Amino acid sequence: MTTETIYNAVGEAIRIEAGRILSDGTVTAVVGYAAARRNGSAQPVVITKPDDAARLIFSAACVNNLAVYLTKAKKELPREGRIGIVVKGCDLKALVGLLGESQLKREELYIIGVPCAGVLGSTLQPSVELDAESIADKCRECDDRMPQGSDFVPLVELPEQPALDKKYAAEIARLEALTPAERWAYWQQQFSKCIKCYACRQVCPFCFCEQCLCDRNKPQMVEGTPRPAGNTAWHIVRAMHLAGRCAGCAECERVCPMDIPLNLLNRKMARELKELFQSEAGFEVREKGPLATFSETDDESFIK
Amino acid sequence: MQKQIASENFAALLQALIDAGTRVVGPKRVAGTLLYEPLTAPDELVLDELPRRSVKEAFFPVCEDLLTYEKQGQEVQVQDVDPARFPDTVLVGVRPCDAAAIPVLDAVFSWDYKDQFFLERRARTTIVGLACTTADDACFCTAVGLAPDEPRGADLLLTPLVGGGYLAESHSEKGEALLQTHADLFSEPGIDQPLGLAEPQTTPFDLKKIKAWLDEHFEDQAWDGIATRCVGCGACAFVCPACHCFDIVDEGTEKSGKRRKFWDACGFWKFTHHASGHNPRDFQPKRYRNRIMHKFKYYDDKFGQTLCTGCGRCVRLCPVGIDIAGVLEEIEKKAND
Repeated sequence: MTTETIYNAVGEAIRIEAGRILSDGTVTAVVGYAAARRNGSAQPVVITKPDDAARLIFSAACVNNLAVYLTKAKKELPREGRIGIVVKGCDLKALVGLLGESQLKREELYIIGVPCAGVLGSTLQPSVELDAESIADKCRECDDRMPQGSDFVPLVELPEQPALDKKYAAEIARLEALTPAERWAYWQQQFSKCIKCYACRQVCPFCFCEQCLCDRNKPQMVEGTPRPAGNTAWHIVRAMHLAGRCAGCAECERVCPMDIPLNLLNRKMARELKELFQSEAGFEVREKGPLATFSETDDESFIK
Repeated sequence: MQKQIASENFAALLQALIDAGTRVVGPKRVAGTLLYEPLTAPDELVLDELPRRSVKEAFFPVCEDLLTYEKQGQEVQVQDVDPARFPDTVLVGVRPCDAAAIPVLDAVFSWDYKDQFFLERRARTTIVGLACTTADDACFCTAVGLAPDEPRGADLLLTPLVGGGYLAESHSEKGEALLQTHADLFSEPGIDQPLGLAEPQTTPFDLKKIKAWLDEHFEDQAWDGIATRCVGCGACAFVCPACHCFDIVDEGTEKSGKRRKFWDACGFWKFTHHASGHNPRDFQPKRYRNRIMHKFKYYDDKFGQTLCTGCGRCVRLCPVGIDIAGVLEEIEKKAND
């Protein structure tokens, strides 16, 4: 079976399940994906009527991490009753993190997990076929194709995961081999493109602060203008704030209109956390992350 | 005036301009991303892809200094930036959807306040446009009254020819001057036919009808359905050739610093956040409604023009797939009902 056939079956199962849980009152709304105007395109949608369940789809263009709609400024969603949400494995890791950080309650969610063989890396041209070229970099090293602990998972069999080069690992290795001056030059050039549109922040499930530090101007904590100093500060602040929390949905990188490889920063931080504290985000619900916990076994060799 | 220029002569033209000290700006790859950037050599020019950001930044940069201040004791020294320092510039490879936005912006930047920063750059810049021979399904210039060979905004418009090279037609004195100064590189139009233009991707919108609906539907449930998914970033406004909102901020210390002007976006919650804490656009659909109203009603009310050229950048780059052409289709349908 092709991925497209499998995803069509997944879409059908989602439609039936969403219709059922909306009709019997299990949930008040379902956050999922619907087809949009452009050929092959998909967009997030919130449905509240059983009849609208027919609009739901799943395809390789269903790239969004919908967990963002359950946090922070998304006050537009109904807040009474349980909410159904369609998640891929990577999105589920964000939900797990948000549960740990007391942003969500498990009993208020109805999780529809998607068996996922990968999504597109970019939806500039959503009609592109999913293949070894167009697949998202995060999917090349995915270890979570079947979301665990969901309330509903469509019964389909995924084809065996093809062995694809791990692009993040390779790129991190390349950057680590550079001298600090070369590495600085690389990031300075990347950050010089930043226009401070904050798409990275707005799609991030973990950027749920009511008011971002970087939006403050009295006093100004980080230069708000899109200039080299403020851009660098912004991306470093964000990487540090996500360390130990980001589970790698890579939405920040996908949505960046300037193609800044933001997930490289997050993957590098994740690797540091794993090496230093044997901690990986997104696998278990826990209240405190490694950077918010003291343990006697912590490495203290840096104290001289 | 209509002339023809061979590909190698076009490269020679760019080289001649660069050698003469003119700032030549065109689509060039920067850290993997295509942007309008100053060229140091003709072969840096990339013409088969629409740059990620529009050409508006040649007149209205992402961020620019307005003045510098320095305090010594009780004395404050303020140094203005002199707009006369802007260099003479030739913009090349500018697609019709980008070029057409510039005269639209002239209206607002020379209205009640003459924005010297915009207007000085405008006076010193020649725009060489390039007609489109391909389009994707996010392109909709023809739906908002433009065309793949729309000359609006271009001083000189190049149209690719079947055998290579371009047909060059001047549409202003600046364009004429460029043709005359470099007359040796141009020839009389020959028998070569222009390449077929990009096919329209959508049926034209009835912008009058859409505006009439907007006139009456500031309050309408439709806005919730359209924009609940909007996450409130500024990507659409920042890649748009026509969006022109900006903020001004003083950055530095109490001793010295700079006043800066930089792009702002109506999608941000902060955009209308009052000092009192009140926010009249307290809900994302209200912010998205402003985007549509400004483009298709307010700007028309004020200047008789539409603030959208159908470049499709916001359609391709919206993180959550909001498709302004789809929104217009939906509004037109409501207007017909």
